[in-house]
Amino acid sequence: MTTDVAVHEEVVTFADGLPGFESSHRFVLVASPSLDPFTLLQGMGPDAPSFVAIDPRQVEPSFAGEAALADRARLDAAPGAPLLWLALVSAHEHAPATVNLRAPIVINPASMRGIQIVPAESPYRLDHPLG
Amino acid sequence: MLVFTRKADEAIVIGDGVEVKVLRIGRDTVRIGVTAAPHVPVHRREIYDQIRAANASAAAEPDAARALVSRLRQRASRQEPHD
Repeated sequence: MTTDVAVHEEVVTFADGLPGFESSHRFVLVASPSLDPFTLLQGMGPDAPSFVAIDPRQVEPSFAGEAALADRARLDAAPGAPLLWLALVSAHEHAPATVNLRAPIVINPASMRGIQIVPAESPYRLDHPLG
Repeated sequence: MLVFTRKADEAIVIGDGVEVKVLRIGRDTVRIGVTAAPHVPVHRREIYDQIRAANASAAAEPDAARALVSRLRQRASRQEPHD
């Protein structure tokens, strides 16, 4: 329950979960001005993980994510259909936070299906400094 | 673990439509082709493990995730000069 009318929450389904969290299939995507520029991916159910995420272009303006045809098939997204890209943020005890630009989360807003891309090769780091 | 001996150009079939074929056998490497439906994810194990470790480091309790956002926003507002 919240009084913040600008809070936007939607459920995203990850059919395959995320690497390491293969049995976490449903996450609430929470966006609000009080979180901006971050969003939350809150796992549903006991012991489900939550993540802080950010638009990769906020971190690396030249970021160009590409969803392969196989990725689009898993998202039920037609070629060219707009996709939402998010990168997961990691906090570290004795170092600044980092962002995983190599394996971004991709969500099809039309189907609210999500996947995490596991690229064989990528110019981006798993631990890109969060500016 | 099921163990097979295969020659180049021989394959195994897993379930209903995943085929793993030995394409070429080199001195130290084997080239493998995987045929699967587009919605079936196929990954290199070591890359999957790296991303699994990154996800484990990013995962948090919901309250901790919100606290992290607050810390990061405070830090950003300290860094940005204000008019």
